[in-house]
Amino acid sequence: MQEIVRSKLTPTPAEIINIIPETPDTKTFYFKPKAKLEKPKPGQFTEIYIPGVGEAPVSVSGIESDGVIIQTVRSIGTLTEYLFKLGRGDLIGLRGPYGKGWPMEKLKDKDVLIVGGGIGLAPLRPVIKEVERNRRDYGRLSILYGARNPSLLLYRYEFDEYRKIPNSELLLTVDRADETWTGNVGVVTQLIPKASVDPRNAVALVCGPEIMMRFTVKALEKQGFKGNQIYLSLERRMKCGVGLCGHCQVGPYFVCRNGPVFPYWMIKKYFWVDQI
Amino acid sequence: MFSGPLYSGGFSELKRLFQEIRDRNYRIVGPRLEDGVVRLGELQSFEEIPYGVSDVQRPGYYRIRVDGGRFRTPLDSPKQLLYPPELTIFRVTKDWKIEYPSYRFEKTALFGIKPCDLAAIKIMDRVQGELGDEYFLKMRENLLLVVENCVEPGENCFCATMGTGPAASTGFDIAYTRLDNSIILFQPGSDLGADILGELSLEPATPDQVGAFRRAILKAAERAKAGFRLENLPDILELNLESKVYREIAERCLGCANCNMVCPTCFCFDIIDEPELDGSSRRIRIWDGCHSYSYAQVAGGHFRKDLWARYRHSILHKFVYWLRQFGSFGCVGCGRCITWCPAGIDLREVISKIVEEVEERCRK
Repeated sequence: MQEIVRSKLTPTPAEIINIIPETPDTKTFYFKPKAKLEKPKPGQFTEIYIPGVGEAPVSVSGIESDGVIIQTVRSIGTLTEYLFKLGRGDLIGLRGPYGKGWPMEKLKDKDVLIVGGGIGLAPLRPVIKEVERNRRDYGRLSILYGARNPSLLLYRYEFDEYRKIPNSELLLTVDRADETWTGNVGVVTQLIPKASVDPRNAVALVCGPEIMMRFTVKALEKQGFKGNQIYLSLERRMKCGVGLCGHCQVGPYFVCRNGPVFPYWMIKKYFWVDQI
Repeated sequence: MFSGPLYSGGFSELKRLFQEIRDRNYRIVGPRLEDGVVRLGELQSFEEIPYGVSDVQRPGYYRIRVDGGRFRTPLDSPKQLLYPPELTIFRVTKDWKIEYPSYRFEKTALFGIKPCDLAAIKIMDRVQGELGDEYFLKMRENLLLVVENCVEPGENCFCATMGTGPAASTGFDIAYTRLDNSIILFQPGSDLGADILGELSLEPATPDQVGAFRRAILKAAERAKAGFRLENLPDILELNLESKVYREIAERCLGCANCNMVCPTCFCFDIIDEPELDGSSRRIRIWDGCHSYSYAQVAGGHFRKDLWARYRHSILHKFVYWLRQFGSFGCVGCGRCITWCPAGIDLREVISKIVEEVEERCRK
């Protein structure tokens, strides 16, 4: 008997309706799906598809009420390089959203410490927006953000808005300053002792390069953060996004399904093991 | 699960069983000889099954002998049929229309598969769950499982260690055991299996035959053992993540992923795009394996660029993570990865060595 087989790995076409240049190699895309997709939660990701080219998992960096999904993309591989050649009105495919995002429920009435490194701020941006929107639901908001140099900082055009969020702070740093830079110089972990949050009643959300996250965990533990107060967003090869293709495993976890956001204590056993 | 008593018959009943399944309009897939290798393929007649052909399987070694002996696991596992190596999942046209492929799903009987492969199908069922690969789930709907118990396991077999053989206990429709060519014991494992066996002229097995069956299986179990035990194995392996054995093996391993491909439970896949001249594009799911270089590679980075780390991942996945993910080991002891490893790496030895390292450390 001939039967049609419909794969759950089917993308929905989405139109590029806006593109914001962020850094020399990073842009923020506004995608408007042609059919309704589930509303992403902060920390989730989608698979961006270009026919004939392929797919790449990219975190969601903004969620609009009209179904528009905002994603910040660095041009670094085949798919993203091709995406950068597209413009407004062009169609791409989207699947998702997938994965477990940031523990928004757990953040209620807690101080929120956001630690971002480089493009790692992208999946944290929806958390900032959520705290801003429902300001009274959360305690103090402290955003620590670092990049290799000033030109690589994302969302600079929004920094003033972040600073205006009541009961919050934005601490920035760069590894190497240029002539325009008057702020902190050094790695983002150096900002952690300066953050004005109460470690006994705070949750830290961390995303950045793996090496940055390792040092961040150490610095947070030094401040008294426990393993269940630290959440990390991991990057792996999330090929299918639904826990079937196997590529994104870290220990017994499928990063796409059990993560990408993990409480540190859950992955502690594997986090420090080289190439696990 | 149901699994009935033993009935006895001869070789002619086995042939009649084949015919009866055929008469019930099943497509029959089973072992057949192809280019000097026992493979799994569609059978037109009972005579195609290479009874009387034996295989010699050793680490990195496979030969066929026509000596009246027995063959063991075919090169292909049921995965080949249920979860094809390459499958188009959709085609997207230039104007973004999605076209899904249609496939033929026939009532299919897997005839003469080994208990280890039956266990592998059950593992694949758990891996795919209810929301897994659509093709696999469809294939599973109408599958008749006829299992041949092993009385002469091969050199690379270790089903007894993994608890998957040499005899199947449940989960089949029909199991049969060739005690010799004149006595074959049949066992129904489902209502359908019982109904099919009811067409044959079988007699309840005599006490002597049941005794011979038990002895044969016990003897086979003695042969199909690895040098390690499953007790505490996941914990032992996790205690030794930095084992030097992984680095030693990587000196010999070619990273070819043959072991992944022949493994009856390895499920990892990649998805590739094939652009066509009319501007459309085909999206194809293909098998992938954790030993291959690109497996854990991402744009701008690589999470397991060293071969020892990829080898370690395969061991840890099968013998540690799998339990936490799917509630069983990911290995059924079929020995294919040992036979078809071009470097002749013996998984059993590798695990034994890692366990030994830990035991030595504990003694100190």
